[in-house]
Amino acid sequence: MNQHLALCIVPLIAASMTSGYAFAQTSVQPASSSGFQRSFQSFNPDVSAIVDMYYHQDDSEEGISHVIGETVGFGHTHGHGEEGHDHGGPAEGFNLRHVELQFSAEVDPYFKGSAIAAIDTDGAELETAEIETTCLPWGLKLRGGKFYSDFGYLNAQHAHAWDFTDQPLIYKLTLGDHGLNDKGLQLSWLAPTPFYLLAGVEAFQGDNENMFAYHGEEPLPMHDGPRLGVGWVKVGPNLRGNHALQFGAFAATGKHQEEHDGNADGLADHWLDGDSTFWGGDVVYKYNAPRPYGQGDFVAQAEYFSRKKDLELVAHDLAPQFVGNHRVDKQDGYYVQAVYGVLPRWRAGVRWEQVGLTNDSELPNGRTESFGASDRVGIMLDFTPSEFSRIRLQANQGSYETTDGTEDVTEVYVQWMISLGAHGAHKF
Amino acid sequence: MRTIIALVTTCAALGLGTEAMAERLKIVTTTSDLASIAKAVAGDKADVRGICTGKEDPHMLQAKPSVILQARDADLWIRIGLELEIGWEQPILDGSRNNRIRVGAPGHLDVSESALILDVPQAPITRAMGDVHPMGNPHYWLDPLNGRRIAGAIAERLAQLRPEDAAAFRANAAAFQKALDERMFGVELVKAVGAEALWTKTQDGTLAAFLDEPANKTKAGGWVAALHPLRGRKIVTYHRSWVYFANRFGLTIVGELEPKPGVPPTAAHLAELAAAAKAEGVKLILQEPFYSTKAANQLAAKTGARVVVVANAVGGEPAASDYPALMDLIVQRLSM
Repeated sequence: MNQHLALCIVPLIAASMTSGYAFAQTSVQPASSSGFQRSFQSFNPDVSAIVDMYYHQDDSEEGISHVIGETVGFGHTHGHGEEGHDHGGPAEGFNLRHVELQFSAEVDPYFKGSAIAAIDTDGAELETAEIETTCLPWGLKLRGGKFYSDFGYLNAQHAHAWDFTDQPLIYKLTLGDHGLNDKGLQLSWLAPTPFYLLAGVEAFQGDNENMFAYHGEEPLPMHDGPRLGVGWVKVGPNLRGNHALQFGAFAATGKHQEEHDGNADGLADHWLDGDSTFWGGDVVYKYNAPRPYGQGDFVAQAEYFSRKKDLELVAHDLAPQFVGNHRVDKQDGYYVQAVYGVLPRWRAGVRWEQVGLTNDSELPNGRTESFGASDRVGIMLDFTPSEFSRIRLQANQGSYETTDGTEDVTEVYVQWMISLGAHGAHKF
Repeated sequence: MRTIIALVTTCAALGLGTEAMAERLKIVTTTSDLASIAKAVAGDKADVRGICTGKEDPHMLQAKPSVILQARDADLWIRIGLELEIGWEQPILDGSRNNRIRVGAPGHLDVSESALILDVPQAPITRAMGDVHPMGNPHYWLDPLNGRRIAGAIAERLAQLRPEDAAAFRANAAAFQKALDERMFGVELVKAVGAEALWTKTQDGTLAAFLDEPANKTKAGGWVAALHPLRGRKIVTYHRSWVYFANRFGLTIVGELEPKPGVPPTAAHLAELAAAAKAEGVKLILQEPFYSTKAANQLAAKTGARVVVVANAVGGEPAASDYPALMDLIVQRLSM
């Protein structure tokens, strides 16, 4: 063990001595002092923390989380761990989003690594912990660990990078508060094409609370992981000047299990097992204005998803005659948003979204139910004093089709967030 | 563990396999100034693309897909460094999946390592001081002596990447440097005194007195002669982006319109600055075209100073078509 430790430490000491020597040798040039700092720092991971708080108020009786949870066609999944896990919804009043404590570094000439601990007042959980290759040829990259799927546009963005305080409805209703974030492997390929083409396949364990839930306990069957496969492609034409455009398409399919409590006695009485799939597309356009402090910058983005859950009723304590029949749910939704730099450091944005344009359920008893669509419009204004802080005001006006009828809810958010330490630049 | 070893071995082996070089080198630079100098040094042996066009603030760019594509094919990536590109460089390098241009690889050149750097913080800094660059001010390309050094650094790196063309790269760099010397001091003065000696005089502060000697006055030309009447003038700039230019040509910067780097001008700061500018006798306010001239005009109205708006990067204005032309343009605007 000691020998092993020595083997690891010797090259480190040698490397730090070399950089020290380089510093001494060239110290006649004022510039090179920075070279030493840099090589010294490169042995430490970048550490950063995001502190993100917001105030929320809405005019619904039971709160916006409850209303969204009751949206017809999307609610009542009772997936794995959903009970007692509802920490995503905003409370009336002050909210503190988890602190994202991030560590990232180049590991060696072959790999890069990062880990993000999500810490809130109830404890800590691992948001992401990932390894990626930096050495594969032919535009390939392998990524592993627990990470956000790169499908679509918003999924891989952390909450602090969103242009609105809350998630679009379609993300929240299909994938839940965390989006698609799971343990797995991703292989992606930057094609040698004359335009930008990035394609990826991902295999995940299949542990999403809403769409790819797994219990694996009697009477539900067991399925070995990986239980979820995702594929996506992103294409970017070469636009001149400061314009950028990217189109994406994606599909995912995996195992899904649900347990339901039909008579509300607190005990599960029927169980479903089957496949869940979704597919969709995304588009992003960005214009980077020549003016400083973000004035004139423009971003427009839209995503559409369609999902289908095809589940077999594997057991039913109250209606065993339907066992073996299927329940098929088809829902979809989209959002479109645009953000513009109205003044130096000030941005204004608008978001329009609809869910349930298709909203059908075929039930195991042979009945078919169709529901209406919900929609929401949001506007926001944010001020970015520096790259490291942002203050945002947002208002939503939504009309939700719920099990209790149509509910109109107005919401207000005031958000204040900062970034401490060395936080890496964000992707496109 | 065995899988990891296998993967690493494959990585290493495949990495070696991809080093076969294309005919013309592909160079991508973060800024238009570096692109201009790289073109002069590489000549017809490389295709050079710059990411920043010179019209926008180089601190704020996007890692957009078309740029990732350029980086994917690059043999050499040249950056300004000193964290100028910190907001957008890494996603491009990562996204490109190009091992040749990763930090530390021969295909990654940070020219700040060869430049003379100013504003290196001597005391602990915090972000409360604004957008301070902890390793020094990154606007060093506006010092023509640094332009000279950048050309030399690019030539040496190209020579390393393509040894068979080393002589051509070094000759191109020398020609570029000679042209800069002559535009800086005038052909006659360079011939009489030698470029090395003249640059040394700009460094040790003896150039002004030297140019005042009648024998030299007649021979002097170029940028130093054009700006000689302005030597010692006190100026205000918008951002702390002109320190290198001012330092080389003997201008004194009294303050900036930005209260702190990266923070737009405020009324309170402008009032303070106006008082200081009046007391110091500031006659000139210098800024880039991409900033609003509102604050500069306000200060000019209070102090009677002249506002000079000029590109500080190649491509920032049509006349700034390459690096020497950029310097020509700045000198011309200032000496109008």
